[in-house]
Amino acid sequence: VFPGVRQAQWLTKTKLVEGLPPAVQGIVDNPALGLQELEERARHVVSHARLWDTTEVAPRREKYCPVLFENLIHICRLMSGKYPALSKRMLARNCRIAATWERESILLQVRGLSGVLMNSMTPIPPVASKEEILATKEHVLETFYPIAPTIDLQEVNVYKELNDTGQCFRDGYPYSHPHTLFFLESANVRTDRFRPEQLRAKMLMFAFGNALAKARVLHGNDPKVLEQPIVVQSIGTDGQLFQFMVFQLNTTDLVSNDGVKNLVWIDSDQNLYERAQCVPEVKKGVVMKPAGISGFQPDTFKKFLALYLHGTV
Amino acid sequence: MAALGAWRVLRPGRRWFSETVPGAPSPPGGPLYPPVVASITAKSKAAKSRRLQRFNQRVHAAATVEEKLRLYGKLQRPKYTVYPQTFALNADRWYRSFTRTVLVPGMPPRGTAAKPPVGAAGATLEAGRAPEPGAEAPAAAEAPGDAEASRDAEASGAAAGAVPYVDIGELRSLACDALLQESFYQNKKRPFLYRDQDHTPGPFLTQLVSTLAASLSGRNPLLAASSLDLSPEVNYYWHHGEEVVVHGHRKGRVDPVRFQIDDNPHLQIRVPKQLPEVVPLESDLGDVPVIDHKPSKLPLFKKQYENKVFIGSKVADPCCYGHTQFHLLPDRLKRERFIRDRLEDQIEVVYRSNGIASLFAWTAAQAMYQGFWSEADVTRPFVSQAVVTDGKYFAFFCYQLNTLALSAETVRNNPRKNICWGTDSKPLYDIVEDGNVKGFNDEVLIQLVHFLLNRPKEL
Repeated sequence: VFPGVRQAQWLTKTKLVEGLPPAVQGIVDNPALGLQELEERARHVVSHARLWDTTEVAPRREKYCPVLFENLIHICRLMSGKYPALSKRMLARNCRIAATWERESILLQVRGLSGVLMNSMTPIPPVASKEEILATKEHVLETFYPIAPTIDLQEVNVYKELNDTGQCFRDGYPYSHPHTLFFLESANVRTDRFRPEQLRAKMLMFAFGNALAKARVLHGNDPKVLEQPIVVQSIGTDGQLFQFMVFQLNTTDLVSNDGVKNLVWIDSDQNLYERAQCVPEVKKGVVMKPAGISGFQPDTFKKFLALYLHGTV
Repeated sequence: MAALGAWRVLRPGRRWFSETVPGAPSPPGGPLYPPVVASITAKSKAAKSRRLQRFNQRVHAAATVEEKLRLYGKLQRPKYTVYPQTFALNADRWYRSFTRTVLVPGMPPRGTAAKPPVGAAGATLEAGRAPEPGAEAPAAAEAPGDAEASRDAEASGAAAGAVPYVDIGELRSLACDALLQESFYQNKKRPFLYRDQDHTPGPFLTQLVSTLAASLSGRNPLLAASSLDLSPEVNYYWHHGEEVVVHGHRKGRVDPVRFQIDDNPHLQIRVPKQLPEVVPLESDLGDVPVIDHKPSKLPLFKKQYENKVFIGSKVADPCCYGHTQFHLLPDRLKRERFIRDRLEDQIEVVYRSNGIASLFAWTAAQAMYQGFWSEADVTRPFVSQAVVTDGKYFAFFCYQLNTLALSAETVRNNPRKNICWGTDSKPLYDIVEDGNVKGFNDEVLIQLVHFLLNRPKEL
C-alpha cells in the first residue's frame, strides 16, 4: 500500500538520508585504492554471470543472480591480498535472525532467513558524528494517521521472545560483529521477486534486527541511547539493480516517539549494466543489438566494493 | 524400352554428371578424368572411410572454436555415461584405460624444492616454486647453520625470482575458523536425510577455499586474475575403441565406442594463463591398463543425449584454462559405508577415479576450447589440479593431458599417454570438540597451499 521504506522508518524509529554516507563516499573517490583496474574485471565478471556461465543459450535469473553476487564478492575478497585485515571476515549463508522490540505499545518482531550475512571481527566505526545524532532529536517521524502503522504486517501470537543474533551463532564466535547483509532477489518469475521499494524496506528491517540483537548482546536489554552506535550495512539486488544501505543504530529506546532516532543512508536503484544481450538481435540482416553487456556502470561496482571495504580501510 | 529411357536421360540441358562443360578446353598434360575415389553413400568400408575423411576435413576447416565443437558433437548416438563419483569396484583401472592415463603415486616434484622445510622461527614457510637455479644453488650449498639466515636474506633481497614467506599459522587459523563456523558456531537445522555433505562439509569447503585463495592472492598474481565458480558444470565427449553394433537397424556395423562425462565439481578456479607442464610432452612414466571386457561390465550404461563439451563457461571467457577443482564426495560414497561392506580397499579407488575422470574431462575440454581435437592432437600439455574430499579426508591430484587422440584410428600410432599424479586420502583434522579443532594436520594444509600457489614460471 505504502512506499515500504516510510513504514519501515516508523517501525524502526529511523531518519532517512538520501545517498551514501561521506565515509563510504570517501572510499569510492579514493584513487589510492586502484578501483579503476578492477573495472575491467568487473565487466568480465558481469559477462560471465549473464552470458557465459551455462551450456544453454542464456542463464536464468535463479542462476545468474547468485553467480553475479559470488563473482563480485570474489573480486572484493581478492583485495585482501592488498589489505590483509580484510581476511578477518567470514560469510555465513542461511542465517536465521530474530529480534523483538516494542514500538508505542505494539510488539514487533523480525524473524526469518536473512540471506547472506558477512561478519567481521571488528565493528564498523560510527558513520554519523555526535552532532548529527543529537540533531535527529528534532526530526519528527512521519505518521500515517489514520492508517495504523502496522498495516500489512502479519500478526502472530508470540510465545517466546527470541532475541539475539546469538541464536544464529553461539557464544565465543570470533567474527561477532555483523558487517553487511546481502539480499538476492533471484526468483525467475517477476511476481515472486520483491519490488525495489519493498526490497529496501526488507533490507532496513533486517539490518535493524541484526543491529538491535547485537546491541542487546553488548549492552543488555534495557532501552537506552547507545554510547557506541552500531552500524550494519545492507546490499540488495535482483541481478541488475542494486540497492545500497547503511544503517546506524543510535538508540534502543523504541517505545516513545521522541528522542534520538536511528539513521539510515539509502542509495537506491543503481543499475550495474543496461542490457545483457546473449544472442545478437538481427532484423532483416542488420544487427540491431550486438551480443554482450551494454551500458556498464562502474560506479555501482565501486560502491559495492566501498561498502565491502568500509570499516577496514 | 532401354533406348527410349536413354533418350529421356540424355536430354540436353539436364546434366547430372558434374565435370562436362562443353566447350571448355581440357588442361594440357593434366588428368583427363576425375579422380577415382570411393563413393560417399555406399554401404562399404571404403565409402565409410571417405565419409570419415570428409567429416574430418569439415571440422578442420571450421572457422571458430564454437563451430568446431558444434560439428564435433553433432551426431547423437547411444554413448556410455561415465560418472566420476562412482561406487563401481576398481573403477580407476577402467577409467585409466578409457582415457589412456598413467597413474603415478605421490605428487610431482616441483622445480628444485619438492617440500620446502618449515623455518624454525615463528613457523613461517617458504612457498615452493621454481626460482632461477642460480639463486637457489648458493642457498642450497651453504652450511645448514646459516642456511636459514641466507634464505631469509634471499627472500628479503627481493630478487626477481624471490618468493615471499607464507605464514602457515595464519592460514591454519583461517582454516580452523571456517571449520568451526560451519560445524560448531552457526546454528543450523538438522541435516536432511542423506544430505549430510550439504550441511557441514560443503559450506566448509567453500569457505576454506575462498578465504585461502583470497589471502594467497597477494603471493600468486594468477589467483588475483582468477575466476571462482560454485557448482559449475564440466562436460566432455570422446570416442575410444571400436565395437560392433549389437541390435537394431544398424546391426553389424563397426562403431566407435562413445563416452561422455558430465561432472559437477563443488568449486573450481579458472585462470587466464595456463599452468606450466610438469614433464615433457612425450614422457612415458608407466603403463596404461588394458581391459578386455566391454565397458558395460564395469557397470556403465548407454544413453543418447546432447554431446556437450564445456569447461565451466563458454569459449568467449578469457579465463579459459583450469587451475584447481574441488570435489565433494556424496553421502552414498562415505567411508563408513565401505567399511561396513568390508570393501576398505575401494575407499582410495573412489578418490582416484574421481580425480582421473574429472581432470581428464576438464583438461580435454580446455584443449578443445583451444581448437585441438582427436585428429588435431595437442601441441603443448594441459595441466590442471584437483582436490577430492569428503570433508575430513583430502586427496590431491595433478593431471597432465598429453594427448587427445583416443579414437580407434588415431590411438594406433599414438605413443603419448596422459599422466595423473595422485596421493592417498589424509585427514585434515581429527575431531571438532567444544569449539576446538583437535589434531589439525599441517601437511594437508601445506599441500593445499602449494596447489593454490601454482603458477606459470614467468609470473
